[in-house]
Amino acid sequence: MNQIHSVGTSHHTAPLDFREKLAFSQTQILQAFPLLREQYHFQEAVILSTCNRVEVYAASEVAGGGAPLLDFLSAYHHIDSQTLKKFTYAHQDEDAVRHLFDVSASLDSMVVGEPQILGQVKDAYDTALAAGASGQTLNRLFSKAISVGKRVRTETNIASGAVSIGFAAVELAKKIFQSLKNKTVAIVGAGEMSELTAQHLVENGASKVIVANRTFERAVEIAEKFDGIPLPYDESLSFLVDADIVISSTDAPHYLIQRKPLAEVMRKRKNRHMFLIDIAVPRDIDPEVGKIENAFLYNIDDLDAVVASNIKDRQREAEIAGRIVEEEAIGFYSQLQLLKVTPTIKALNRQFQGVVERELQACIKKAELSPEQRAHVQSMTQAIVKKLLHQPVKNLRQKTNDIDGGRVRYIQALQELFALKDVENRTETED
Amino acid sequence: MEFLFLLTLLIYLAASILHALFLTTGISRISEGAFWATTMGFALHTILIALRWIGQGRFPMAHWLDSISFLAWAIILIYLGIAYMTRMRALGVFVVPAAFAAILIAYALPQDAPGLPANLQNYWLLSHTTLIFLSYAAFIAAFGFGVMYLIEEKKIRRKAQTLIHDHFPSLGSSDEIGHRCMVVGVILLTLGIIIGAVWTKYARELEWRWLDSKIIFTLATWLIYVIQIGIRQALGWRGRKAAYSAIIGFAAILCTYAGVNLFLPSIHAF
Repeated sequence: MNQIHSVGTSHHTAPLDFREKLAFSQTQILQAFPLLREQYHFQEAVILSTCNRVEVYAASEVAGGGAPLLDFLSAYHHIDSQTLKKFTYAHQDEDAVRHLFDVSASLDSMVVGEPQILGQVKDAYDTALAAGASGQTLNRLFSKAISVGKRVRTETNIASGAVSIGFAAVELAKKIFQSLKNKTVAIVGAGEMSELTAQHLVENGASKVIVANRTFERAVEIAEKFDGIPLPYDESLSFLVDADIVISSTDAPHYLIQRKPLAEVMRKRKNRHMFLIDIAVPRDIDPEVGKIENAFLYNIDDLDAVVASNIKDRQREAEIAGRIVEEEAIGFYSQLQLLKVTPTIKALNRQFQGVVERELQACIKKAELSPEQRAHVQSMTQAIVKKLLHQPVKNLRQKTNDIDGGRVRYIQALQELFALKDVENRTETED
Repeated sequence: MEFLFLLTLLIYLAASILHALFLTTGISRISEGAFWATTMGFALHTILIALRWIGQGRFPMAHWLDSISFLAWAIILIYLGIAYMTRMRALGVFVVPAAFAAILIAYALPQDAPGLPANLQNYWLLSHTTLIFLSYAAFIAAFGFGVMYLIEEKKIRRKAQTLIHDHFPSLGSSDEIGHRCMVVGVILLTLGIIIGAVWTKYARELEWRWLDSKIIFTLATWLIYVIQIGIRQALGWRGRKAAYSAIIGFAAILCTYAGVNLFLPSIHAF
């Protein structure tokens, strides 16, 4: 029976510059498969390499630790094994199964519940499958991991709720406006965050972008990115008359948008709803503006609170998801173990029969028995083997109902005590 | 008839519960269930009205209990229309239980008080009353959207944590659909009033009296809505002001419909 090993690094254990060193390109993955098989004796391998994690899953017939996997990574990426050990984690068998299920269920992600990881796991598996690197054990493991990921997604709300400022702005805008279609977004000032937020709004249907900046050239520059209209900044805020959503992030030390001029703007736009997002610190928009009828003001802390509350919700869902993963991992692993029992018993039987047969032949030669006596002795030795093995085999079979891992220890003990080397991996016949 | 009535009641009750469940859980399958239960209740309700129509030999609109049943029917009709077009279900939380209560009153209470005199029961009456009650239904829908607008607006201003997860329509939707309900209501009410006036003038079965309490209240209600719609166009009275207008208008309708019936003399039976 194959053992499952995994070695990896993720945002939990390593900084970006280390993860970069360990990353595999698609070509490198295809190069690595034959290396793992021929030099490191892993019959099966799947390599998952994303911007947040690099993980190698491998299955091997040889009992032993995952050390060769670390050796492989160290040699392939020319990283000394000391550093490698510091930033990586290694799992074996049941832990490796549970870890992969956590990953595919997006419980191990930087943003818990983010949807990309499941697709990335699937791609990694498809690549290995197409290259012939994944075999019986990892095929089972990865198909199950993908179905666990899907199950978690459908049975929990782990993927719901905005968990970034940009998405929070989109969700709030959807609470205010009937639809984002034909809505105009105004960017006041500049900055990565405001552009990102505007980007989210545009992707969700906002059709027009206007950009106002004290430096007109800068406005032109940003407007180009959104196919938008640059407008000169003026104190009367007249550029906001057509704006439905205002994102402000200037480095002005005082309030740029004050109550009086904005109330005038609202009157000019016939009180159509306006959503103002102030992501500047110090703030750009006077909090008093939030009291104007049909104008709704959210600052960076308010948006953070929305995000935080969504993250809290997700964490609650993550607990439910964690239970699903646990249940699936135990179920999967015990199913995998079940496959080991029969081959072990067969090997044990073969070994005993072998010993008996050899001793019997030696005895027959020395004692010069008649055919009749020989038959008697032969059937007696058969009976002894059967009776000796009866109780341990019975106990071993009963332990197969045991899901706490006890069965696994028995099987391992048997294999080691009796040095059972030719335990076949006949999974397909016992499924 | 008894059985059908109970069945209709039960289905409206189930639809009310499903709507409330949807609003708290947000599960889309429940929302579909709520919609179809309401549709089924509406179909049975329609049969119920039709049976009474056949039984009485005329459209059941001569007694105030009949008018309540018709009003409930019209509200559900409008709700189903909006729900079908916008996939929005929140309004159902308000109107389906109201319909449940209305038909409970309409069919469980005995019709002891006399209805309209037989000589008045003709197509004039039929169109006059149905138009006005359809307009009431539209105004009640506008009222529902007004209430939802105010609840949602308060949540947005308070930055309530439950905001993102609730299933109320957006402010823009409540405002816009509420406004359209109001416009439709005003058109229907205007037609209803005109038919009523023309009827009294030419049918000569009745004397036109300006000072009839029902007429005065109805005109006041009409004025509230017309002013709101007009100022909305001219000065942008949308959002909270529109929501308040819808609520004030609803209060006026309550006065016109129930208040006048119960406390003031009028030539209108209901």
